[in-house]
Amino acid sequence: MKNDMLGVIFSENPEASMGELTSLRSLAAVPVGGRYRIIDFMLSNMVNSGILKVGITTPVNYQSLMDHLGTGKDWDMDRKDDGLYILPPKDTGESDVEAVGGIERLAGISSFLDKSQQEYVLVTDCNTICNIDFDKVLESHLENEADFTLVCTKVKNLTPKEARKHILLNVDESDNVTDMHVYPGHQVTDLSYMHMFITRRESLMELVEYASTHGKHQISKDILLPAVLNDQVKVCAYEFNGYRKKIDSIQSFYKVNIDMLNKEVRDELFGLSVDNPIFTKIKDSVPTKYAKTAEVENSFIADGCKIEGTVRNSVLFRGVHVGKGAVIENSIIMQDAEVMENCLVENVIFDKGVILRSGKKLVGQDTYPLVIGKEIVV
Amino acid sequence: MRSKECVAMILAGGQGSRLGILTQNVAKPAVPFGGKYRIIDFPLSNCAHSGIDTVGVLTQYQPLELNTYIANGQPWDLDRTNGGVFVLPPYTSAEKGEWYKGTANAIYQNIGFMEQFNPKYVVILSGDHIYKMDYNKMLTAHKKAEADATIAVIEVPWEEAPRFGIMNTDENMQIVEFEEKPENPKSNLASMGVYCFSWDVLKKYLIDDEADPDSENDFGKNIIPAMLGDGLKLMAHRFDGYWKDVGTIQSLWEANMELLDDKPGCDLDDDTWKIFSRNPIKPPQYVGATGSLKNSYTTEGCEIYGQVEHSILFEGVTICEGATVKDSIVLPGAVINSGASINKAIIGSDAEIGEGAEIGSKADDANSDYNNTKICSADITLIGPGIKIGNEKKVAVLSMVTDDIC
Repeated sequence: MKNDMLGVIFSENPEASMGELTSLRSLAAVPVGGRYRIIDFMLSNMVNSGILKVGITTPVNYQSLMDHLGTGKDWDMDRKDDGLYILPPKDTGESDVEAVGGIERLAGISSFLDKSQQEYVLVTDCNTICNIDFDKVLESHLENEADFTLVCTKVKNLTPKEARKHILLNVDESDNVTDMHVYPGHQVTDLSYMHMFITRRESLMELVEYASTHGKHQISKDILLPAVLNDQVKVCAYEFNGYRKKIDSIQSFYKVNIDMLNKEVRDELFGLSVDNPIFTKIKDSVPTKYAKTAEVENSFIADGCKIEGTVRNSVLFRGVHVGKGAVIENSIIMQDAEVMENCLVENVIFDKGVILRSGKKLVGQDTYPLVIGKEIVV
Repeated sequence: MRSKECVAMILAGGQGSRLGILTQNVAKPAVPFGGKYRIIDFPLSNCAHSGIDTVGVLTQYQPLELNTYIANGQPWDLDRTNGGVFVLPPYTSAEKGEWYKGTANAIYQNIGFMEQFNPKYVVILSGDHIYKMDYNKMLTAHKKAEADATIAVIEVPWEEAPRFGIMNTDENMQIVEFEEKPENPKSNLASMGVYCFSWDVLKKYLIDDEADPDSENDFGKNIIPAMLGDGLKLMAHRFDGYWKDVGTIQSLWEANMELLDDKPGCDLDDDTWKIFSRNPIKPPQYVGATGSLKNSYTTEGCEIYGQVEHSILFEGVTICEGATVKDSIVLPGAVINSGASINKAIIGSDAEIGEGAEIGSKADDANSDYNNTKICSADITLIGPGIKIGNEKKVAVLSMVTDDIC
């Protein structure tokens, strides 16, 4: 059912470094899971949670993202009231658009926030892959009579290097957040903030106005942390312990795709049992054709592929062609790539439309997959 | 309402009784085809690609699933502010209410619908054929010939000609005679059930036909012969692509299997003429370590752990470990449990085949209670939608199973 909450998704995340994959597109538009883009997960989660208005901030490189989202009809977000809003930057003379923090992003969409009618707002990054019911988060927010509710998840055995990528929370027995450690040098608690929070729309606007006029940049450090430390503000935690993975590097991107070969992950992530599906742009591809010579094992394959060779432990996107005698192993092959006869491909990520001519070999490392950029012919 | 040069009307009310249990609860145009399509996707996609943006779909028999499927026409780009797709069931008026008595009567009852668009031409299509055709080419030929009606024809093998409505033409492709299922055909040009009419002419003939109490109100039997009798200019428009009537279990099976040929007659993988369909919201297909697919067509949401050969699997089908599926069509959501073997069968939507069960069995001890050679032929076995077959059960070849076998 419809709820009284607005969604805001950041299409970029300055902490993610995706190399070649984001050289021509925004982080939110990176293809993932055979037929999806990163944005599909967060956007579908919001739609499935009864959120009827979603704004997506698109500071840079948003052509492919806009092409993917269109009018929002594939998410049923092409509406007269509310629906999907793509929010490119206003010309503020700010040149280094990628360096600015979440506060500038929110300040940049102040008129969008102002014109919205919803009482509450959910603000999230785009790059956590999970299937989460935000209506439950809102329910808990209301029940706790909280000013902020932060979505967080259990983490364990973080190395110091990993810990520096986390915001860790101290939470008391009634779910109040009592302290917050932004990018600590080692694991101080076992709850990590997932970069999703709910608050009242109007109070967010006030906080953003104050922070942006006081030289502040980061939502976590400059809005959430002061709230946690202020006794007058009630900040609660909502724990989510389903499958979740943040895509912020080539390695984590590779891992998320490979994780989808696991049935439990698939069933949960694609909401098959709870009917919370992940929507994406419809392409009307034909079914996938397996030739007489096809050998496929433990692989996740989208429609429109033609498979004449061998595919193992891999993810194939729509319209991939695998020639006779070609072998693809432990690889992520994006849309419309063509691997011709007798090629060998191992531990490789192919961006869209890569063509690998007959008989070529490309082998990466399982800990460091080789990335081939968009439409490159090898 | 803005005027439209051409409006299309799709006849989708037929029962398709020769498809047996497959059309028990759905109209024939809603029957699944080719892995992710339904039969009606073909005329609707043809309309979309031909630039016809105003389409009436005449429904009568079991229309609910078809109505939901078509809905606002969005998958075929027919969600228009001007025009679009309209589902047209029979209705009652102040004077009377009646079912569609025949193909011509169905169109007659919707004269009011078409008049709203003030069309110059009307294209009449049937909702039960598999083909990719540019109706605009036919319309152009119709206009150029200044014809009253143009009928699409396709060459069929001479020995099959007696099964079709045959058009006898002169050297300019003008139709001189129409013979319905002639014993001794003079031509092998069969009518495809695709007509283009000049609207003012058709309207007059529909009204006259309705006034004739002896008429069967059928295009082939009444309207076309009456037009020919009055000396109107009827042209045959030759179509030389793939066209298949999928009115029987055997032809439905064949048309599906032909998609697996090295050079399929109806190539669906055609970016210039995509067949649109209402897509399921499902993740990609997964092939497990024990799974294998050879010469097969599969789509989203399938989970394959068994052996699949020369078969078509629709969305959300599960083939468990050790199951074998050969020469078969498995419709959406069906589950084939481990060790089951499926041979030359059509498995209905959401049916479940138990462990070790055998479908299409030629063993002496196989269950032949459901033998039905009226519907099934060519050793094809048909399992109805939602039917459950228990573990280790053997269902004899040529069965049409309409109840659970436990």
